[in-house]
Amino acid sequence: MTGRFTRIAAIARKEFIHIARDPRMLIAVLILPAIQLVLFAYAINYDVRNVPTTIVDQDRTPASRAYVATYRGSDFFDVRGELPDVEAVDAAFRRGDVRIAVVVPPGFARDVAAGKQAQVAVLIDGSDPNSAQIGSTFTRALNTAYGQQLQATWADAQGVDMSSMGRLEPRVRTWYNPERRSTDFLVPGLMVVIIMIVTTQQSAVTLVRERDQGTYEQMLVSPLHRVELMVGKLLPWTILAFADMVAIVLLSQLVFKVPVRGDLGFLGVSMAVFVFCSLGIGLIISSVAPSMESANIAALMISFLPGFMLSGFAFPLDSIPVVLQWASLLFPGRYMMEIARGVFLKGVGWAEMYDQLVYLCIYAVAAIGLSAWLSGRRSR
Amino acid sequence: MNPRRVRLLIWKEFTQLRRDPLLLRLLFLMPILQLVMFGYVIGADVKNLKTAVVDLDRSATSRAIAQSFESSGYFRVVARPADERAVRELLDHGDAAVAIVIPEGTALRLERGERTPIGIVVDGADSRISSTASGYSAEILSEFNRRRIAAQGLTLDGPGIDARVRVAYNPSLRQINTMIPSLIAFVLLISTMSIMSQSVVRERERGTLEQMFVTPISRADYLVGKVTPYMITSSIQMTTVAIVGRFWFRVPFNGQAVVVLTGLLLFMFTAVGLGLLISLVSRTRTQAQQTVMFIMIPSMVLSGFIFPIESMPPAIVPLTYLIPLRYAVVVMRSSFVKGSGFEDLFWPLLAMAAFSVLIFGIAVTRFSKRLAD
Repeated sequence: MTGRFTRIAAIARKEFIHIARDPRMLIAVLILPAIQLVLFAYAINYDVRNVPTTIVDQDRTPASRAYVATYRGSDFFDVRGELPDVEAVDAAFRRGDVRIAVVVPPGFARDVAAGKQAQVAVLIDGSDPNSAQIGSTFTRALNTAYGQQLQATWADAQGVDMSSMGRLEPRVRTWYNPERRSTDFLVPGLMVVIIMIVTTQQSAVTLVRERDQGTYEQMLVSPLHRVELMVGKLLPWTILAFADMVAIVLLSQLVFKVPVRGDLGFLGVSMAVFVFCSLGIGLIISSVAPSMESANIAALMISFLPGFMLSGFAFPLDSIPVVLQWASLLFPGRYMMEIARGVFLKGVGWAEMYDQLVYLCIYAVAAIGLSAWLSGRRSR
Repeated sequence: MNPRRVRLLIWKEFTQLRRDPLLLRLLFLMPILQLVMFGYVIGADVKNLKTAVVDLDRSATSRAIAQSFESSGYFRVVARPADERAVRELLDHGDAAVAIVIPEGTALRLERGERTPIGIVVDGADSRISSTASGYSAEILSEFNRRRIAAQGLTLDGPGIDARVRVAYNPSLRQINTMIPSLIAFVLLISTMSIMSQSVVRERERGTLEQMFVTPISRADYLVGKVTPYMITSSIQMTTVAIVGRFWFRVPFNGQAVVVLTGLLLFMFTAVGLGLLISLVSRTRTQAQQTVMFIMIPSMVLSGFIFPIESMPPAIVPLTYLIPLRYAVVVMRSSFVKGSGFEDLFWPLLAMAAFSVLIFGIAVTRFSKRLAD
């Protein structure tokens, strides 16, 4: 047993020397994650705001101006001037200058004064479906609210009491992140995604490089067992990735002020297992890839596409097709995502999330076993 | 430049590609995998949210309210706990993302004509779930009110706003209709940048670059012979995306092919130039790969490809102008979806031309200078 640890330690030491010889890589591994975190955390925002909007006011009365002012007052619409007619709207849409156009036809004020339904048209550019969807919901809500306001004023003037009809009202409470700060959403998830991308890339080339340089055969004739080789190769990267994680947690505390409500010890243990899992994916790639190029590109592809997108980070897993939901079980991100969000925001720990940690442990063992088996099959 | 030598160099490059069966397979798998991910994951509308219903009222009305949530398709009821305390556990475990709490006396208060609150608890750990769930539930409740008032035969005359919301260009609001046009440009960038830089750095690592220059091959021969095969493979990849997008995902094409091709050609030069520049600054293939990541991540995040630029903080927005992919996304999207022509896209196309001249120009001059040393 002691022999086994010496052998693993020897491989780990050798890997550290490789890493230390390439300072540029070390910088990339330690600095890049921080840059990514800052970039993502600032740039990604799901709250659509400031959608460029134009107004075509053909009525030009105090009533129409009061109506248009409600758009200017809203955070969602960024009213950028007025256009003379609907044809100009078409051109502005095609150039991409504006996304929403509010057209108030002549006779608006007359209809309102007569107690009729005043017609307005709202044109939305559907080429960004997400903001178009939210835009149309916002527009309807704004118009309903304004209509009710008009009606209340009118009913008052007519002496009708409006309050006699019961209605349901939603009382929305957002747990865990009541102010809906987007950095609170993003940072725990980003930690998982960034660590996965960095680590998978690193271990994907490690065996290929040995094979390229012919040192792999030398290791095979040594008393080293394949699993020992795999574990030894992963240890230094686990330590580096752990340093990354500590850096990210520190940044999240000092810069983004994301609360940590749960058990940090649990997070640390899970993270270590998770790092092993994503390194394991890289090792699997490394044991099947015939060249550095294909290893690099496969790692890039796997960590970015299924790894990132099926982790539940940006895209809720319940909404995707069932087949892809099953596929998501094959990537460790989704388990860690639950844990990271749970610990940071929900304040949970071992008791609530131990099952996810168990999955991660199974995953790590399976990934390392699979890569050892694959590389063994290959060298025969 | 000698056409025969260039042809031979291209042939050599393809032979090398064929010898690496995994790489070849990856080249064709990459666009397919991207299509699946972008089409089915990013394009998916948020629905089937795991929902817990706590019905404390247990009346016909409260059941009707719960039913209207269930039948909307956005909420999938996974639990019906008897009291509110159970909600905490369900959300903590992630077994439910939304809880609807119908308080005791809801039916009674509605009868009396009061305003009746309905509790909606959303899991704030996932921003997309929390924002869509609260939007949908507000919509469902107001629809419920409308139907109830209509059923009572109560109509009220008075002024109002009849807003006709019309969505131009993409009336079905399918995400994928805008995703796939931009994906074509993204595939071009990633595939050209990463595969080209890997192949050039490999020659340097192995020392075959020097061997080549003791032969009569000129620098121009080498450059053209190196660049052409990767332009061909990325064109095949783009065509795959375009064909699958058009016929499998049924993405409409409303624009002019000339506009799209002009945009892609300009962007291809930018991508090739970036690939060359990466191989100039990298000694090993691992370093080249890291540099690709260094360019790819900001391109993905800041180009408006996945995350809308308007929603970014004002301090970040100027940075997006430095990302060549940003303009390619605008050109591809506007031309596919809106049918924009050359005059509409004058500025983005000009920016793309400027980028391609600048990046490709610098890359080629630096590269030949490096070869001359």
